[in-house]
Amino acid sequence: MVENNEVELSEAEAEQYDRQIRLWGLESQKRLRASKVLIIGLSGLGAEIAKNIILSGVKSVCLLDSEKLKEIDLYSQFLAPPDKVGENKAEASLQRARALNPMVDVTSETKAVDDLPDEFFTTFDIVCATGLKQEQLERINNACRDSNKKFLCGDVWGMYGYMFADLVDHEYSEEIVQHKAVKRGPDDTEKNARETVSITVKRRAIYVPLQNALSADWSKPELRSRLRRGDPSYFVLKILFRFRDEYNRNPDPAKRKADTEILLKMRDELVKELNLPVGFVSDALLTDVFGIVAGAAAVVGGVIGQEVVKAVSQREPPHNNMFFFNPVKCVGFVELYGQ
Amino acid sequence: MVARVAGVFDEKLTEAIANSKILVVGAGGIGCEILKNLVLTGFPQIEIIDLDTIDVSNLNRQFLFHKEHVGKSKAQVAKDSALTFNPNVNIVAHHDSVISNDYGVSYFKQFNLVMNALDNRVARNHVNRMCLAANVPLIETGTAGYAGQVELIKKGLTQCYECQPKAPQKTFPGCTIRNTPSEPIHCIVWAKHLFNQLFGEEDPDQDVSPDTADPEAAGDAGASALSSEGTATGNVERKSTRQWAAETSYDPEKLFSKLFGDDIRYLLSMENLWKKRRPPTPLTWNNLPGKDEPQAQHSGLPDQRVWTVHECAQVFASSCNALQADLKSRADGDHLVWDKDEKSAMDFVTACANIRAHIFNIPQKSRFEIKSMAGNIIPAIATANAIVAGLAVLRAQAVLRGELASCGSVYLRPKVNHRGQLFVPEKTLTPPNPKCYVCAPKPEVGLACNLKQLTLKDLTTAFKDGLNMQAPDATVEGKGLVVLSSEPGETDHNNDKTLEEIGLNDGCALLVDDFLQNYEVRVRLQQEDEEKSWRLVTDSDAPMPGPKEDEKPANGSNGSEEPKPGPSRSRTRADSDSDMEIIEEDEDETTVKPPKRRRTEMSDEIVELC
Repeated sequence: MVENNEVELSEAEAEQYDRQIRLWGLESQKRLRASKVLIIGLSGLGAEIAKNIILSGVKSVCLLDSEKLKEIDLYSQFLAPPDKVGENKAEASLQRARALNPMVDVTSETKAVDDLPDEFFTTFDIVCATGLKQEQLERINNACRDSNKKFLCGDVWGMYGYMFADLVDHEYSEEIVQHKAVKRGPDDTEKNARETVSITVKRRAIYVPLQNALSADWSKPELRSRLRRGDPSYFVLKILFRFRDEYNRNPDPAKRKADTEILLKMRDELVKELNLPVGFVSDALLTDVFGIVAGAAAVVGGVIGQEVVKAVSQREPPHNNMFFFNPVKCVGFVELYGQ
Repeated sequence: MVARVAGVFDEKLTEAIANSKILVVGAGGIGCEILKNLVLTGFPQIEIIDLDTIDVSNLNRQFLFHKEHVGKSKAQVAKDSALTFNPNVNIVAHHDSVISNDYGVSYFKQFNLVMNALDNRVARNHVNRMCLAANVPLIETGTAGYAGQVELIKKGLTQCYECQPKAPQKTFPGCTIRNTPSEPIHCIVWAKHLFNQLFGEEDPDQDVSPDTADPEAAGDAGASALSSEGTATGNVERKSTRQWAAETSYDPEKLFSKLFGDDIRYLLSMENLWKKRRPPTPLTWNNLPGKDEPQAQHSGLPDQRVWTVHECAQVFASSCNALQADLKSRADGDHLVWDKDEKSAMDFVTACANIRAHIFNIPQKSRFEIKSMAGNIIPAIATANAIVAGLAVLRAQAVLRGELASCGSVYLRPKVNHRGQLFVPEKTLTPPNPKCYVCAPKPEVGLACNLKQLTLKDLTTAFKDGLNMQAPDATVEGKGLVVLSSEPGETDHNNDKTLEEIGLNDGCALLVDDFLQNYEVRVRLQQEDEEKSWRLVTDSDAPMPGPKEDEKPANGSNGSEEPKPGPSRSRTRADSDSDMEIIEEDEDETTVKPPKRRRTEMSDEIVELC
């Protein structure tokens, strides 16, 4: 849990964060200022998340990536300059990340997640992981869970994207606006004098770990009924995780045709396995999953960034527990899995 | 130059991007994000335009700008920063207003797509018209706090930005502001008016003294007040506030005594006003509440502490002195412009609004809160802007691919809806409103006014503020006679004449056009004796905008900019005591014979004026 920082904001902070303090309040801003965030994976999505979180004014952000910056990263990764191709992605992103907000302490970590002990991840208040395999995500998620630390993960493939959140046992406050008629004084007859009164209520949300969400049992009637109103984005995620697991990489723009075939085959297998209606997971959803499209990274990075802000400021209901962006319909929605 | 990595997009889109030229209007919160996405995606030709400079309060979201850029051109810095992401694209930056002869229809025609990232209605309306005239698709964006939206506008295919009347701007009757405030906002509006009366551009519609023409005060009571000082105009005959202040050398104590003592006592004498209201309490400079109170414990930002009346008076005095010194240092005839980010200007309004609130037993507010209300600040965050700009560029890709039919509006909701949706797309495009007075094949609108009172100058204002024209020209339909010319000097001599005096009457139709916007509309005049100003009338049921005051920006992306001020709604022009001057008719002036009377139905609501 984020400790409450009672030190008042400096004048510089009040000035720079003015427009957001007017939205989420001073208390949230103080909580943000006390929180330490780890961002794993400095692809285009990682850069978007880092930008949003650094701008919000957290205490510190650690950028973790063990890989080198490639040409292909540049069309979505704006924190690493083009002349740093070949250098470590996290280190290459440091300078611009710091320039976004000098009041935030930004550091880098170049070790691979598999080489880092669980204790590394739990030194942060919240971990945002991108670009990892399902197994790696589950390991970090469970480590965080055991230490009561919050965990988010997400990815963008082409124009498609998702987010998962495990905020463990999360307490937050929610502002509810009520309208009520008021009178100024006993002798005031001013009609329609209305005032909006906002009351703050405390709420609590219980989350499940990633493995539960990804192993949802689709033979159960309550999930089957979801298929009817449904959007197939959950299954697209399953297919893409399988691809990443099996080939140790993401679908490659340079192998667009061959990889599309593999994806469609994996889709057919999954449809059979889970007994899904034929045609439910359309081809169209699996043809635009190459590389990272800047617009989609901005969209998903915006959602994840906002969820981090909500989680650490403990204000407003966070999404529980999966968000999907379906680019074919341009719809973004939240569903609860694994509970 | 193509999208940089082959295979990310299919060939059709890759090629469409490579051959595209995009205009981004606005380099604020959404504009920065859009520019980043376009540049990274590899859009090869981009122009960006913004008239604004960078402020420190932009830095929490306008991420192409850093502290060292404060004060510089947004468009230019945005261009320089974005080029570091991808030096291979061509960006042209214009530090300029998009509302200018330099950006006419032929300028807009060179683009495949225009993307709006604006924060005010005036510019949105203008770009809407330019894109309709140039027949270029427009992607319109906006955010407010956690919420936002993206909308495609294409001539003939979708509704335009002006197809649905926007909610009228919030206005307050003049007598509420001047005589009987009951909400903090009434005191804040009064304080801003007072600023203009003392230091800014003097506007007769922003009078701050007691309004004796208040219909509520009429009758026997108030007679004492009206006895000697009242005039036909309803205003107390006295020097202008500015002149009076100048003669007293802006002495804060004297100003205080007049504004918060004498004027309040005068209001008290209008007894009818206080029969059912709690009467105000005049203040005296030497005996103010809170003088010896120890400062209360305060947590939070210093600006979030509510000042005592005594403190307000201190701030009133110091800000008065500072503003007067500023005014004095300027050339004769120059004046100050109220700006929420100017310390003294903001201090002055906070102090005056709170002193007045105290007098009328209205809750006082902190400087922080008053800044929001007086400056029409819409909160703005990085994430909502990022999401909306991301959606906008994905929509841009679909437009370039020719898939316009799939580009229904998308709404970013502050919280998920009952179906769990956070971004809610509309399934189909909304077709144009055939009665839209902007995008219909033959645009038409009614203008309800009292032809005996509305002057040509007021009519020009109606065309500019109501129809959002920049430089209207008007001729009488069927006659070709020029009533109003945008050429300086051509019709100015008629400015103070009423429409009746220049020969316009009920049912008469004007052809009004704006050369810059390539826009012409037929305006039917409708006589309404009761209408004190003017009002647009369309066939739709929704209320149309009337004259505005204290307007709020629509869907502001920046939230910080106040749209250009319109005429005051607080104007009090009762039928019997109009301040309209009667001018002798000049012989060699254009007189217009009225065409036949036409009956026009009205289905509009009247905005209440006291």
